[in-house]
Amino acid sequence: MISQRRPPAEALRTRPSTPRVLRQRPRTRKHSFVGVLASERIKLRSVRSTYLLLVLGVSAVLLGYALAVMAAGMYDNAPTQQRLSARIADLEEVVVIVPQLCMGILGTLAITSEYATGLIRASLTIVPRRWPILAAKSTVVGALGLITGATAVFGTYAVTRLVLGDRFSGAYTGAFAERLPLLITISVSVPVFALLGLGLGALLRSSAGAIAIIVGLVYVIPMIIGNVPEPWSERLGSVMIGALPREITGDTISTSVYGSLLSPAAAAAVLVAYAVLPLLAAAWLMRRRDA
Amino acid sequence: MVRRAADPPHRILYGVIELHRLTKRYGGTTAVDSLSFTVGPGHVTGFLGPNGAGKSTTLRLILGLDACTSGHALINGRPYASLSRPMHEVGALLDASAVHGGRSAYNHLLCLARTNDIGPARVTEVLEQVGLADVGRKRVGGFSLGMKQRLGIAAALLGDPEVLMFDEPVNGLDPDGVRWIRGLMRSLAAEGRTILLSSHLMSEMALTAERIVIVGRGRLIAEATVAELTAAYPSLEDAYMALTASSVQFGAAR
Repeated sequence: MISQRRPPAEALRTRPSTPRVLRQRPRTRKHSFVGVLASERIKLRSVRSTYLLLVLGVSAVLLGYALAVMAAGMYDNAPTQQRLSARIADLEEVVVIVPQLCMGILGTLAITSEYATGLIRASLTIVPRRWPILAAKSTVVGALGLITGATAVFGTYAVTRLVLGDRFSGAYTGAFAERLPLLITISVSVPVFALLGLGLGALLRSSAGAIAIIVGLVYVIPMIIGNVPEPWSERLGSVMIGALPREITGDTISTSVYGSLLSPAAAAAVLVAYAVLPLLAAAWLMRRRDA
Repeated sequence: MVRRAADPPHRILYGVIELHRLTKRYGGTTAVDSLSFTVGPGHVTGFLGPNGAGKSTTLRLILGLDACTSGHALINGRPYASLSRPMHEVGALLDASAVHGGRSAYNHLLCLARTNDIGPARVTEVLEQVGLADVGRKRVGGFSLGMKQRLGIAAALLGDPEVLMFDEPVNGLDPDGVRWIRGLMRSLAAEGRTILLSSHLMSEMALTAERIVIVGRGRLIAEATVAELTAAYPSLEDAYMALTASSVQFGAAR
């Protein structure tokens, strides 16, 4: 096929070695984003770490199941007086930390593995505008994050409801529709972590640095904030990612380690900012930085 | 095959790389210093210079990976960054080991190809062309340097481009591979392609290249045909040694 598209070699050898007229070829076709998207899908699909992180993320359902069984056992063994006042935390919110971390790492690795191997230079060479790479990675990683998050959260809800029945004053026997908004916002926090990981990875170009920040945001910073004097504990606690799902749906609880100062709209804006701002900063830097 | 009907009757290969006073400074050091030369089609142009002379930086500047401080580099009269699907016009091998070890050779090439709307059929074709068809489904992590060089060359050829740039493609190849690359470079040039080939192997260069560009400390030292150099000096190696004597930065005393 190649040779057919080309004139015979003899004809070409006789050309002057430094042509005076530059060839003008109409190149109206734009770089197709679909192609870059397909490329990023293959990149993720063709490495083992992706599958490992997906399985780990979804395995949060098993953790939820174990916690529910444990709670049911404790409830059944407790005296009647204690049973009446027994409360249980929303297990979806407890176990979502697992997919949050896994997808944060997936997002990070999607870009930092390219910097670590040097593959990024090939990627940037063949897509000179550069930002489509980040946009395509965001799409793929965000979609995987949402699927994983929703599977883990709704799966945990389902098994917990099955295991607990009407224990804990019917905490898990309420209407599904009432619970749905919170389940959705908790699920959405997972792709936010995936995009945050991608943005931080692209900014820092280092797996270790980006993953350290992700872990810090999930575990370390909320712990520190819990020990900061009021009113700053409540203020800072309100803008942590963990606080936002409840602030968006409006069912805040007093026992939470997080604050609840934000309005639903403000909380939604903060959640979007976590995902988008690092990515925008990275896209801006990527255009300017030498690869 | 259907695509051919829409193509112009004959694709004329006419690639040109032009550097005009290209300069790159990193802080106080000047890696590339007002470098101007032109690489034309139909032959292999050797790109020579001591370690640290700025060869790789020059290639990165041409490919728009690094932004130049001043001057410009054009491919077919246009800056590289303005090419919409560059794989169809320029193929480059910069660093053969820059691959994700966990990915198969086929998948590695396919994810590069997709960005420029190139299909899996072409991936299979280039894998055959470089002799990696049998190991296409194997993880790249287990490849020898020579196999990675072949994979890098396959990636450069994916878009069937008229301009090709190779940075040290002979490194790590066995004698068989070295001979293969020599033949490949010559045949690509005979098809009318424009080939810029950097290497430290003088004997190989003397066999493969027709024109030579020599740089040292980021500056142009010589731009000549191999015939001209071997007429003035006993061999290409002697020519290189004499011309770069004053610009070797990391050499032992001689």
